[in-house]
Amino acid sequence: MGDLESLMKKSGLWRASSIDCEFRQGLPSGFPLLDNHLPGSGWPVDGVTELLHDQYGIGELRLLSPALARLSQEQSRRILLVSPPFIPYPPALQACGVDLSTLLIVQPKSDQDILWVLEQALGSKSCSAVLAWPQTILDKQIRRLQIASKEGNTWNILFRKTNVRSSPAELRIHLSAGNAPLSFHSAINVKILKRRGGWESTTFRVDFDDNLNQQTPDFSELFVNPPVNNNETKILQRPVALPSFPATAG
Amino acid sequence: MKQKYCKDLWLCLHFQQLPVEIFTREQTEKPVVVGMKQRIVHMNHVASEAGIRIGSSVDAAYILASNLIYFERNEEKELETLKNLAQWAYQFTPNVSIRAPASLQLDINSSLKLFDGIGNIKTKIHQGLERLGYSAALGLHQTPLAALVAAKTGNSVLLETPVNELDIEQHIIDGLHRMGIHSLTDVLDLPQGGLARRFGASFIDYLQRLMGEKADPQQFISEQPKFSSEITFLSDVTNLESLVFPIRRLLKELCDFLIARQLKINHFTFRLAHRGHSPRSFSIHLAEPESDAAMFLLLSQLQLEKINDVQEVDSLTLSANRFFPTTSLSGDLFHGTRFQQKDGRTTSLADLENSNRLFNVLRARLGPDACFGLAEANDHRPEKAWKTVSQNAQGKRQEVSSNENARPMFLLPKPRRLRLHDGHLWFNGALQVLQGPERIDYGWWDYNICRDYFVARHSTSGLYWVFQDQRQQWFLHGIFS
Repeated sequence: MGDLESLMKKSGLWRASSIDCEFRQGLPSGFPLLDNHLPGSGWPVDGVTELLHDQYGIGELRLLSPALARLSQEQSRRILLVSPPFIPYPPALQACGVDLSTLLIVQPKSDQDILWVLEQALGSKSCSAVLAWPQTILDKQIRRLQIASKEGNTWNILFRKTNVRSSPAELRIHLSAGNAPLSFHSAINVKILKRRGGWESTTFRVDFDDNLNQQTPDFSELFVNPPVNNNETKILQRPVALPSFPATAG
Repeated sequence: MKQKYCKDLWLCLHFQQLPVEIFTREQTEKPVVVGMKQRIVHMNHVASEAGIRIGSSVDAAYILASNLIYFERNEEKELETLKNLAQWAYQFTPNVSIRAPASLQLDINSSLKLFDGIGNIKTKIHQGLERLGYSAALGLHQTPLAALVAAKTGNSVLLETPVNELDIEQHIIDGLHRMGIHSLTDVLDLPQGGLARRFGASFIDYLQRLMGEKADPQQFISEQPKFSSEITFLSDVTNLESLVFPIRRLLKELCDFLIARQLKINHFTFRLAHRGHSPRSFSIHLAEPESDAAMFLLLSQLQLEKINDVQEVDSLTLSANRFFPTTSLSGDLFHGTRFQQKDGRTTSLADLENSNRLFNVLRARLGPDACFGLAEANDHRPEKAWKTVSQNAQGKRQEVSSNENARPMFLLPKPRRLRLHDGHLWFNGALQVLQGPERIDYGWWDYNICRDYFVARHSTSGLYWVFQDQRQQWFLHGIFS
């Protein structure tokens, strides 16, 4: 091992994992475990990042929210959400610390327009992050977005389906539901498929700092004998012993 | 001769060709004539080269040039154009007066220093008019009337002016000719009393004002509160893309107008007209008032691309009527460098400009509703606890409301009805209720809701926000993305 170290020093060799990392400090994701796996110890500040998932509601936005909150508070540049599938809900965003005044929603009518908006926004230098939910997007189009986002110093996040085998995106992350039945926190399973200076990672679980997955005492009777009434009304009138909600920290 | 009012310096712009030029702002190689009652009264130089003469009939002109373009004289439009030109000339001096039918008089004495001499002013006027598509003869003299005479004759020595070039009635000219008097010097040598008896007091009055013996008060134009300019095409334009050039010219004109008055606009309108169709208008709205011609052109092009229901255009009008004063923002010495704002953000003026620019471009292409910001609203009903805002003001931070209950990242635009399967709440699979209820009972004045909200987990462990209403029906309302 000592030989290897000295060889590397002498011959000017370097490990792939150390490329760029020192020089390109990433944006802290708010999840130390995830930071350890990401080049530059955090989310990239530019380039295209693909988040692959098939299901909504697994925490794909909550995974980004600490970083988005930070961007929205530290920079006056905009955060653009392009054709989100549902309404990005302001009370929740606010609760995560995202400053709503930097947020801009764009709803183009066609896929062609989505691409146009992305390219305009990325190249404009006026956005810190651009999140998009494109229906279809081709590799060559992603390459263009990659160039535009480097030029505009903007982080571009594309939410795509998991059936996309490969793409020119700089960072590709596979997300799947990770809520364990017995865990108190909600969680998400993360697998990094592609990153600078590193191989594909194994799947690891990122825990959210919340209590969403926590179960309040038995609700099963709610659904026994569905349509009728006695049980359900009884339940609803019964003062349910709720564990007190801890204020959402962070 | 006493010259009391000679400290002034007047520049007269005489638009000899105005009746033709209102139709031919675009360069043309075709003969264009303007007539009244089938008699030609004005024409461009191509027409005169073809041998057409003023006073000849239109039929005769068509024989000489088969590609002749004929317009009926439109004096109303001439006056309108002259007024616009007066507004344009406002950039050189605040004292501009209109002298119908085709002249402007500019008091430029006080502007000499600003423009560093009369030569510069003349050059600027010539260049500017050329861009606008007009031509004018310039005359410079110490009184407005003398300047007009100088512009018409092109002769700088006033006293040599022939009497028929003076701005006086024809019967006086005839009378002077009969007396053997041909130039202004001869007239001035005659005793004024005799002239007054022979030709009336108004003639003496004219001479005195011409020579500066008597004050000649002018009615100066006031700032026009709106901008409007029109280009007429000699042949119908069928390809809208080729409108870019006239649009650029009109926008340049608009920007000159804005800069001269230190104004900005956030809204302007183009009108595409054709004699055979109803006109089509399109407007450009900007996020922030601007006066940047390149930006205007870009947005106009984006709008123009969207128009597909216009086949032919024969005139193009640009108008704007709401103006904002320019806030005199001093230049940033370290332009482009980031600095910390009071609230701890890093920002730069360039960011703000870029951001407005992006917003304008998006709205121009996608329409005003496709691009909006979000804000929290003061309401407990989940679907009313948020609102869209047209453009969120930069830097205005909202108070963080402290709702301790979990809220989903995504809200469904409309709650979605859920069914029960085998005693399980079902949405693409069984849902297991984890937390709740959070009762929301609110809004009696509007529409009341009484719902119990729960957090539910899907069998493959996505988290959802569901509620049960008073009729025991279950709905999906949000997604913990």
